[in-house]
Amino acid sequence: MTSRRIVRGLLGALVGLTALYLVAPVFIVVPMSFSDSQFLKFPPTSWSTRWFESYFGDDEWIASTLASIQIGVLVTIASVVLGTLAALGMVRGNYPLRGAVAGLVLAPVLVPYVIIGLAVYAMFLQFGLTETTLGFVLIHTALAVPYVVINVSAALFSFDRRLELAAMNLGAGPVSAFLRITLPIIAPSMITGALFAFITSFDEVVTAVFLSGPDLTTLPAKMWSGVRVQIDPTVAAVSSMLLLVTLALFSGAGITRFVRSRSGARRNPGTAEPDTVRQTQ
Amino acid sequence: MNETIAALAGTGASIDVQGISKRYRDTTALDDVSLQVKAGEFITLLGASGSGKSTLLNIIAGFIEPTSGRIEVAGKDITTVPPYKRDLGMVFQHYALFPHMDVWENVAFPLRRRKVARAEVERQVRQALDVVELGRLAKRRPSELSGGQQQRVALARAIVFRPRALLMDEPLGALDKRLREQLQLEIKRLHSELGTTFVFVTHDQEEALAMSDRIAVLRDGALVQVGTPEELYERPSSRYTAEFLGESNIFTGHHRGARFIDATTKADLAVGETGDCAGALVLRPEHAHLAAPGSDIPIGHNVLNGVVRDVIYLGSGLRVEVTLPDGRAIVSRPAARGRYTPEPGTGVLVHWHAERALVVPDHPSVAP
Repeated sequence: MTSRRIVRGLLGALVGLTALYLVAPVFIVVPMSFSDSQFLKFPPTSWSTRWFESYFGDDEWIASTLASIQIGVLVTIASVVLGTLAALGMVRGNYPLRGAVAGLVLAPVLVPYVIIGLAVYAMFLQFGLTETTLGFVLIHTALAVPYVVINVSAALFSFDRRLELAAMNLGAGPVSAFLRITLPIIAPSMITGALFAFITSFDEVVTAVFLSGPDLTTLPAKMWSGVRVQIDPTVAAVSSMLLLVTLALFSGAGITRFVRSRSGARRNPGTAEPDTVRQTQ
Repeated sequence: MNETIAALAGTGASIDVQGISKRYRDTTALDDVSLQVKAGEFITLLGASGSGKSTLLNIIAGFIEPTSGRIEVAGKDITTVPPYKRDLGMVFQHYALFPHMDVWENVAFPLRRRKVARAEVERQVRQALDVVELGRLAKRRPSELSGGQQQRVALARAIVFRPRALLMDEPLGALDKRLREQLQLEIKRLHSELGTTFVFVTHDQEEALAMSDRIAVLRDGALVQVGTPEELYERPSSRYTAEFLGESNIFTGHHRGARFIDATTKADLAVGETGDCAGALVLRPEHAHLAAPGSDIPIGHNVLNGVVRDVIYLGSGLRVEVTLPDGRAIVSRPAARGRYTPEPGTGVLVHWHAERALVVPDHPSVAP
């Protein structure tokens, strides 16, 4: 009994330390962003919001933020469409080398971003795609598609295909059956995939550093150069705001899911109840 | 109530299955099956799992393409018509209700696909839900319904568009016994009131006997026998049908003239018909009478000696198991309060009228 308590205590401590380790950057970055110092310094000695003002007053920061948002939205749309189609092909297709195709689609997750960035940089230079929105969208979509594929194919694997047969039996053609039955049922997984896709693009720094330049710089690339060239706490202010946005996005998704499952549970009184009881309601 | 059903009633179509075969790479799921289903008939495809009954239903529905053969509905070849243009309602074993739609939307689905006017959709969905007595649950999601209620929604959805026939793939398989019997009655009532053709698939012989106008027995992808429940029960054409439908006592042996010679005991038994072949003698438990040793046996009856092994009281009667001298068991179902009361461990005479037992010839494809 006591040994069990000790193990529990140790486990609790381990969990606490892990959590602390994971969120530690937040405790450093957020205070730094409210510093009054000219340099990135921790812990701050005096407080101000001047670095937030510096961000909003700087056209370059605003331009790179808007560029990142634009690229992120385009990447999200492209990767959800392509990723869903790829997942359909991988789960339902029946063709040779299906496993190889799946490996190819998921490869960007495994290949180090530096290698991808270098290779793409060499290629894009030739086609004049560096420092262009199209170039960023192309490479970020390749990086984001796997997350959509993973989410959507999981949903498709558990999807009961008899629902499509039922729809067809009731008069829906194959396209109509897909749009009215399959799509709404896998939609939550597509939304999760879309969220991952957006964050993948919005957070991506490695290939962005290769492709960025005076004409087009995304927010992470701008932050990177900000830290390297001028040690300016504006970076900390941007980081704090990014944390806030990420937190809002994911807790928003989490809350929606929680509310939905709760209302589902409340409306569903369980299936073990005998029919007769239900009929008297 | 009856008015609403009358509004949904349609004229069922005949279904003509002509030499349908379905072969997969190394297996044959269906082998040259032909079956004529009359308009408005309730036919059951009965068989064990792997007999091909569900494959046949899926071919009729258009979900599986046959390797060869034709399907005609109301005299028209529909073999290559896609499922969504066949106008056949289907009820699936696990209901296949659309989880993201409520009951109302599920039932309205086939009408919307047919571009029925809004007011008409409203009216017909209401009628279909009234027929299955689920009107007050229209706004519920399928996950909020019990199994029996879900099955009723599936039924409403399959009849709302007045299909030419209703196909049902073990629709009651997932329900408990009491609910299953209740829904059997409801489906039977629905059939007589709608007048539509019903094709019902089950592995449950009691269900088949209780519900069907005719039963088609399938085994290993081939049609074994087609007939009314009574025909199949009273005159099975094969040992397989005899064993599959209802309880039977079976003796293997040889049919010679009006006699049947049991293969193991060489017992010489009188039978009603004459013949000359290897076969099986089928004796239904309700025709096997019991008598105390030494009592008078009616003329024309066969008699076997045995020992009572087990007596079970069933309310409506008894189920008695008798052990024959060679160790085989024979089952009898006498009335609960007959002149003779069987006692376990005592000797007994089993007797039956020669005309009551049936000889089925061993057929190469159905031999055990």
